[in-house]
Amino acid sequence: MNEFLAPINEMGLPAPIWFLKLFKVLGFVLHLCMMNLWYAGMPLAAILSLTAEGDTRRIGERMVMYMPIIVALGINFGIVPLLFIQTLHYSLYYPTGILIAWPWLSVIVLLMFAYYGVYIYTTQVKNNNITKIGKISVWISAVFFILIGFLFANNFSLLVNKDEWLRIYEQTNVAGAVTGFALNLQDASLLPRWLFMIGLSVMTTAVYLIIDSVFFAKNETDNYRNTVRKFSLKLYLVGLIWAGTTSAWYIFGTFSRDLLDAIKTDPIVHGLFVITGLSAIVPLVIMIIKKQNFTKATAWLLGGFQFLVLTFNVLSRQWVQDFSIAKIVDLNRELVVTQWSSMIPFLLTFVIGAAVIFWMLKKIVGLKSMS
Amino acid sequence: MHYPWWYVDVITAPMLIAIIATIHVYVAMYAVGGGMILAYETGRAYRNLREDTLDYLRSHLKFFIWLTVVFGAITGVGIWWTISLASPLATEALIHIFVFGWAMEWVFFIIEIIAAFIFYYYWGKLDPKTHTIIGWIYGVSAWMSLVLITGITSFMLHPGNFIQDKEFWTAFFNPQTIPQIFSRTGGSILLAGLYFFLHASITVKDPEFLRRIERRIAKWAIFGAAFTLIGGILWFIYLPESSKAALEGAASLNILMGLVFAATAVVFFFFYLGSLKGKGLLSLGYAILLFIFGLIAVGSSEFIREAVRKPYIVYDYVYGHQIYKSEVAKAEQIGFLNFGAWTRPYVLKKYPQLADQNNMIDYQKVNDLSKNDKVKLGETLFMYHCNDCHAVKGLSGIQSITRGWKKEHIETTIIDMERIHYFMPPWSGNKIEAELLTSYIQSIQMPHPILDKENNSAQTKTEGGNHE
Repeated sequence: MNEFLAPINEMGLPAPIWFLKLFKVLGFVLHLCMMNLWYAGMPLAAILSLTAEGDTRRIGERMVMYMPIIVALGINFGIVPLLFIQTLHYSLYYPTGILIAWPWLSVIVLLMFAYYGVYIYTTQVKNNNITKIGKISVWISAVFFILIGFLFANNFSLLVNKDEWLRIYEQTNVAGAVTGFALNLQDASLLPRWLFMIGLSVMTTAVYLIIDSVFFAKNETDNYRNTVRKFSLKLYLVGLIWAGTTSAWYIFGTFSRDLLDAIKTDPIVHGLFVITGLSAIVPLVIMIIKKQNFTKATAWLLGGFQFLVLTFNVLSRQWVQDFSIAKIVDLNRELVVTQWSSMIPFLLTFVIGAAVIFWMLKKIVGLKSMS
Repeated sequence: MHYPWWYVDVITAPMLIAIIATIHVYVAMYAVGGGMILAYETGRAYRNLREDTLDYLRSHLKFFIWLTVVFGAITGVGIWWTISLASPLATEALIHIFVFGWAMEWVFFIIEIIAAFIFYYYWGKLDPKTHTIIGWIYGVSAWMSLVLITGITSFMLHPGNFIQDKEFWTAFFNPQTIPQIFSRTGGSILLAGLYFFLHASITVKDPEFLRRIERRIAKWAIFGAAFTLIGGILWFIYLPESSKAALEGAASLNILMGLVFAATAVVFFFFYLGSLKGKGLLSLGYAILLFIFGLIAVGSSEFIREAVRKPYIVYDYVYGHQIYKSEVAKAEQIGFLNFGAWTRPYVLKKYPQLADQNNMIDYQKVNDLSKNDKVKLGETLFMYHCNDCHAVKGLSGIQSITRGWKKEHIETTIIDMERIHYFMPPWSGNKIEAELLTSYIQSIQMPHPILDKENNSAQTKTEGGNHE
């Protein structure tokens, strides 16, 4: 009998494990693309609204131009990894959430305020009339998004740390039931995980600013575009150093001996980690080479490489998560009863949905090129 | 039993689900009904070259997006968050049955969001035909997400033949799906009509134009009310027997049912006689009044929907106390505390002397515990078996319910609880555990408000007499 672990669900997993992981990874990459932008972008907008002038201040304002859409899409893309993690790892996901129930539930409230803050500030930026309420809103959004990230790091580091489950349970139960007033603060991996994500987000935000200046900032001056290029290069560099330092802390400071050994001994995994680390340098190199002249093609290339950076990061994280979870629960114990009758309609819906979205976007892109 | 229980004082954890779900539904239904109305009326305004209507619809769309895309979407995520905390086993079960249903819903969410933003931000930039089509893409996607989630939530009330064949589509097209799609679609349009009234009464200044909006929206709302009525009747016809019994037997549910019908009827008649056939009544006060009636109707129906499932969370499949129906016999046999993935190690860590050679709780050794420790074990049983519905003091507070009950009465109620109250789950522990729970309830129960008072005063009198 596995103590503190739910028994196997007798319905079985509705799809093969690889299928569920594939969509989990895909969803998480898409989520990350958007989430990185509000995670670093909103604090950047808040800081620039207070400290900068002229074109540099404008960078912060442009950062939030499409933020309502980015946040909406980011939240929805985030549903996929959460859906499939619940399917795959229900025996871990539910207990960890319950152990920190109140802070975990507070994510919803924080997100509500953060998102309305985004709307208020964006509307004021668009109307060119930023009031005190707007300035407060952007700060509320920035702080709350960072807090939400902290809470996510809390839950997902707890997911793979059963010792910490038991410590929290021991300290916060009433007659064996959990009060939910706890955080996973004693987990050594918590801080580097959280801080690393901020660094990665800074890098993605820097790339986004370049893309925005090339594709969307047609009404801005050449001077503005020059400022963006220089600013983004510095920003990316800061993000890279930050992410590099915190990831080194995370890997060498908190990974267990056997986890490090597994990375070293398996050439594919070792290669994945090396590529993950090195890939982050490529966007920097592109930024340095194309410093004076960012065409649409090079902006696409830059965006594409940053997408790869995020994808490699997600794959590495997935591997670490799998390795850590395998120590707590054997995923192979699960029955797999593939639900073809619902999986096929889902895949069809997915393809048709992508086609509908493509058609809608084509209509507005066509409109822009006509004008 | 598979998961740790989240103890929320006074209101109980599952009540958080009901609170968040009701708040969410108020906006989510508007997102569906409003989407259809906006798409249709925009196309109509283009065809009739009504610039004033288009201007109004655009301003309404802004309000619509601010409310539905942010508040509606986040409270929707909030429900998902809360069910995984307050009802983890049922969530686990639903996820395993319906994961691709949810995944399909997710695709429609993404389409909805993109369509909504394009519909709003490209207003006046796209040609009317394309713009209207995008409005309809939003409307249809929103309705499809309603259909998908209704298939899942209706399954919780009536699983149909799923228990036998374990098939996704059997679960999805259960006897409650079509009735609930009808009632929710109608309710969405009706509720959206109330939001339109509220918005128009605040923003539209021209009385003639306001009257025109009132008539158009009233037609929609009446159409929605008819759908709701049909869906409501079908819903009642296809209720499982025990749900019908609960509906008939519980006074609070009777009152709520009355409220739903009364509030819907009031809204219907005002829409029909006042706004459509009459001279027009739309003002801010009128809109607020109808809106409140609408909220009462929707909120009450949501509460009834949750309540009539008892003793199940997923009918005939998962009980309210977080245990599969198929597991009850085993829990009774080995003991409820032994059965729980968290309760067994918790008890054995606290009372290691209770362990047998297989590291299971040996109930024969429980008699050696002190009275206080027995009460504490009873409290653990209360948390995991009762706290889903009963707070100690507060919502269905066990302290008050058991006022003045005698020991035998408590114990019989525990052992025979599903026979005494058919909306309660069966006792899923052994005889010794029933005694432990009894001792806990005795330790917290309040005195009988009449009998114990009389007894006390009689006793005082006797004692006083003795003194004399």
